Amino acid sequence: MKKVLAVLLVALLTLGLFAATKITISGWPGNPIEEGAIKKAVDTFNSTIGKQKGIEVVWEPIAGDYKQVLMTRLSGGTGPDIFYVDVYVFEELAKANVLLPLDTYVKRDNFDLSDFYPSLVDAFKYQNRLYGIAKDFSTLALWFNKEIFDKYKVPHLTNDETWDSFLKKLQQLKSAGYETPLGLAPDFNRVIPFIISFGGRLVKPDLSTALGEPNSKKAIQFYIDLVTKYKVAKEPSTLGSGWLGEAIATEKCAVVMEGPWTIGFMKGSFPDTFKKMGIVEMPKGIKKATMIYTVAWAINRATPNKDAAWEVLKFLVTEGQQIFVEGAGVLASRKSIAAKDTDPIKKVFYKGAEYGVPWKVSTPTGLFATANDQINSLLKDLFYEKITVDEAVKIIETNYNKWIGK
Amino acid sequence: MRYKTKEAIVGYVFAAPVILTVLIFTIYPIIAAFYYSLTDYQPLEARKFTYVFNPYDALEIHTGVLREEAKNYKVDELLSYFDSVSFVEIDVGVKLSDEEKKIIRENFDSLNLLNDYREGRLPQQIKISEFMNRYMKNHGERFTRYVPKFVGLQNFKDMFKDMYFYSSLWNAFLYSIIVVPIQTLLAIILAVAANSKIRGVNVFKSIFFLPAITSSAALSMIFWLIYSKPGILNKILMSLLGNFGFEPIDYLNEPKIALFAIMAMNIWSTAGYFMVTFLAGLQDIPSSIYEAARIDGATGWQIFWRITIPLMRPQIVFVSIMGTIGCMQVFDQIYFLIRNLRNITISFYIYKNAFEYGKMGYASALAVVLFAVIMTLSLIQRKVIKEEY
Repeated sequence: MKKVLAVLLVALLTLGLFAATKITISGWPGNPIEEGAIKKAVDTFNSTIGKQKGIEVVWEPIAGDYKQVLMTRLSGGTGPDIFYVDVYVFEELAKANVLLPLDTYVKRDNFDLSDFYPSLVDAFKYQNRLYGIAKDFSTLALWFNKEIFDKYKVPHLTNDETWDSFLKKLQQLKSAGYETPLGLAPDFNRVIPFIISFGGRLVKPDLSTALGEPNSKKAIQFYIDLVTKYKVAKEPSTLGSGWLGEAIATEKCAVVMEGPWTIGFMKGSFPDTFKKMGIVEMPKGIKKATMIYTVAWAINRATPNKDAAWEVLKFLVTEGQQIFVEGAGVLASRKSIAAKDTDPIKKVFYKGAEYGVPWKVSTPTGLFATANDQINSLLKDLFYEKITVDEAVKIIETNYNKWIGK
Repeated sequence: MRYKTKEAIVGYVFAAPVILTVLIFTIYPIIAAFYYSLTDYQPLEARKFTYVFNPYDALEIHTGVLREEAKNYKVDELLSYFDSVSFVEIDVGVKLSDEEKKIIRENFDSLNLLNDYREGRLPQQIKISEFMNRYMKNHGERFTRYVPKFVGLQNFKDMFKDMYFYSSLWNAFLYSIIVVPIQTLLAIILAVAANSKIRGVNVFKSIFFLPAITSSAALSMIFWLIYSKPGILNKILMSLLGNFGFEPIDYLNEPKIALFAIMAMNIWSTAGYFMVTFLAGLQDIPSSIYEAARIDGATGWQIFWRITIPLMRPQIVFVSIMGTIGCMQVFDQIYFLIRNLRNITISFYIYKNAFEYGKMGYASALAVVLFAVIMTLSLIQRKVIKEEY
């Protein structure tokens, strides 16, 4: 009897010693291809490094309202160990101190940050501390349907388009009888490349809004004019589509500004239209501009297994990233992996990293969600000519401090 | 023990599961909402003192002096690299209010901490609350539990300056004023139809009731397709009215029309649900009254208005009150279909504030206002339509 007990005890002990530390990672599932890539990365980790170090990674996607669900879980103390942080909500989370600063870990392991695009590293710094490492990024480029351009005998869009020449080509399409050449969304982040390329800026050095400055205002005016004055653009819902990528894929418009995520979507669901696509750089004004969307892996400050979480995070942004880039068609945030990515379609998007700005509006409070909603609502009103740009800018300037919770 | 007391105890023991559930999941949240409406409760900060951190890491980053080398430095020198407030806020990681900063500046025992650092007496892992208790000379208890700041009626005052509070509350009102009477009337008509002796009445009953058991997400998707600009509704209207210059409308995005589109959808989907209530009411009306009326020569119209409606008063009260409560709180259809802040209703605005903007206190205050509004409306309704049997 004693022997049996002893054997059992030993068995339990060894099990206890080698029981894997469980690390949960969360993000939005994205499309099936994207989720497949994540699952593959997780499996790779679990069967290699994970096995050696006794770490087991579990992928727990959050479908639906990611930010709301994540915030609620974090405040309830049931947050995942590692999760996606969109650069757009990064400051809010960093300011609330729910993310683990990574500087000590980076230093301890001599983790090479210089391999990442500098703008992507800086995007996840707050008060000079690093809180996340970019898993990948996306930029916007100009997508157009070559077949429609040929049919209406309009020269194709090129990499050296200016806003004037761009508008001219859209107007040519329109006068040749193509009703809606451009799909345009009333989303503030889509207006930002216009503002930057018109020589404007989002915030003044003291972090108050700069949307009322002449150049910024001119850019917003141009964006709205495309819809109301020149009538060459419509929003996706007016075209009967959920988003811009769907609008161009279903050939409801001939031009959109979209990111690399549309590649996978079109290849999967609309392979025939995809063959007609031309993708070139965004038009320029005073200077070139595009939007950089990026998402980082960050560690939950409350996780009991910080070291294990760091091991996982390191994998996710090195070998894991390789798997994402090959599987999901995203852009690598690491230059060494980007160099290996020879997909010609992606080239134009990678180029955007050189002159793009991250989708983030710095505020003294770290909060921009309310302001973003309000500005989007105003853009919608502008699209429907309920107000003028002057009135909209005035509303923004008067209420901005309240919106950012100052 | 007296028999009666015994019986009471046994009774309460049996009822305990329900009593506890109601207390924990209904009564407590209501009280908590009232309390939070007077504070600036930040859910993300609720656990900030329970995190575990490594003091060595934090100090290394803060002072730039490695733990192994710390003993070679004099305390005064280390002190010159050290700032208590930024250490606690950035490196320990506790978001501080101005008042808390002041307390830390005055009471933090930097000397003690740095001495422990030099001599390696710090633990490898420590809970923030314990750490603060150890190194605060006074007021350590202030840093053990998150207490939301009490702001009195500030949240309610903020509402007066918030244009979206007005517009969302007005939208909810408008929505109720239009939806409740129409859906009640429609439900009565459906009930009368379903109560008549026509062939296949059960089929009609099921069809009327079908929208009520369909999930609102599915309904919203279907109506999104119907209402979209190239959708069915526009196609039908174009073929009928196209000659009269009808232009397709983007129903859900046109700020002036969006809310009415949702109203139409909701009337359609809830009328069948309330029909069931009226159906039960109708079956309670004795047929002798109808017979007597017919013998006296009343027309069908007179019978409906003079007999059916008055005798269904209790059901009308019930349906209009439940309808008003439901309409004032309408959320899911707005959440699925409305993108413009001008057209949202108050319960969606509460959701946005609570879970998206991180303003739980303000959201609680909005919820309290909504509660007060609904209660007042219900009381008024009960006064206006008296319950008589």
